[in-house]
Amino acid sequence: MKALRIHIRVILALVLRESRVRHGRSRAGYTWAIVEPVLQITILTLLFREFRGGTGGGTEFAIFFATGVLSFNMFKNTAGYVMHAFEQNRPLFNYPMVKPVDSVLARVLLDVATNLLIMFIVISFQVFVLGAPGPKHVPLMALPLFLLASMALGAGLSLAVIRRFLPSILNFYHIIMGPAFFVSCIFYSMSSIPTRYRELLAWNPLVHGIEGFRIGYFAEYSAPDVDLFYLFTWVAVLNCFGFVGEKLTRFRQQ
Amino acid sequence: MIELQNVSKTYPLRKGRRIILNGATITLPWKNIGILGRNGAGKSTLLRMIAGIEEPDGGIIRRSKTVSWPLGFRGSFHRDLSGLENVRFVARVYGQNTEEMIEKVRDFAELGQFYYEPLKSYSSGMGARLAFGVSMAVNFEVYLVDEIMAVGDARFKAKSKQAFMERLPHSRIVMVSHAMNNLREYCDTGLVVHEGKMTYYEDLEEAIQVYNKLNEE
Repeated sequence: MKALRIHIRVILALVLRESRVRHGRSRAGYTWAIVEPVLQITILTLLFREFRGGTGGGTEFAIFFATGVLSFNMFKNTAGYVMHAFEQNRPLFNYPMVKPVDSVLARVLLDVATNLLIMFIVISFQVFVLGAPGPKHVPLMALPLFLLASMALGAGLSLAVIRRFLPSILNFYHIIMGPAFFVSCIFYSMSSIPTRYRELLAWNPLVHGIEGFRIGYFAEYSAPDVDLFYLFTWVAVLNCFGFVGEKLTRFRQQ
Repeated sequence: MIELQNVSKTYPLRKGRRIILNGATITLPWKNIGILGRNGAGKSTLLRMIAGIEEPDGGIIRRSKTVSWPLGFRGSFHRDLSGLENVRFVARVYGQNTEEMIEKVRDFAELGQFYYEPLKSYSSGMGARLAFGVSMAVNFEVYLVDEIMAVGDARFKAKSKQAFMERLPHSRIVMVSHAMNNLREYCDTGLVVHEGKMTYYEDLEEAIQVYNKLNEE
């Protein structure tokens, strides 16, 4: 019990420290962490709407796109932030109660909370100001989001572990995450894709999280190929690899 | 106080491994202990393992007292955070009363307005004073010292030493040093580290003699 209390205390201290440090250069600090993606999503929404030729209902596309890009960003940002946890916090491991896993969990908590806040702001704005439809079934939205966050933890931790041996894995991650934006059903739905490509797309675990999120958000949203268990398998495998790998390769720490 | 059971520690080199400890078992009493050994014998590594910073490859280290980090350590301070914010983090991690500790360090480190400025604006002396103040603000039962005891100008050194001496009735010190005078000043007993083995001596002078013989070899 005492050990658990120490873990929680350390993780909270880390969350508070990281929230001050992460955007520390600017006085506005954490505010920018919110404003920046909100503006980014607004601009992207306008851009994509132009490309689509203005047809297909303005507000409808905006909220559709928002549900996609927000849940995608939650995964991408969190995983990308977590994978730097070890080297950016290395000096802190000189305090014996601060374990590498604590720094990883602190970063996941902080970034998931930040992304949820961004999500809340963007969706509220669209619903209350632009008159977009509100969320239909919140618990049903929460499960895919939870799985995406857990996968970000597993992926980020696994990458951090691999980086102990292979620093260039970072480049590999960026090479993958660039195109991932286009093959994760962010600005189109799975059902709008021809069947033979759909099977290919279904290999991407992010698709299931993002489309799953939409099933909860929109009434009568059809996404027959969504398989949350497939996403869960990724979550389990990545987390096992990450946590076990971290334990086994701790000797590479110093 | 500190119990090492069958502890081994090696470092991988390009060719082979360097052995620091090879299945060492020893129980260190709650006394002021000076650690002696030739350069590269693994004294600092041993200190870091006692602190819990580094894990042994095999074996167990048990501590029945609260052990500090090596004194004056300041690697954990963040450049963009103020002295106060850095202190707050350490207080939280160690479960200390945050406000109390912030005050203690403020009074001890004598940083004036700089206490509220980011660390990147500090001189190296200021950083060292803050680090020493933080070490003194947490009540450890064992203080670990790696060579450097006091920092700052003569006056601050005297103050640090006094603060430390006030601790000694309730705390003990484990110290690594090549300066025999330093060891004699603070320690009563000695631990000699040599070729993967540790030997404990109740009398520091005896340990110093053994150490001097090693140097003649």
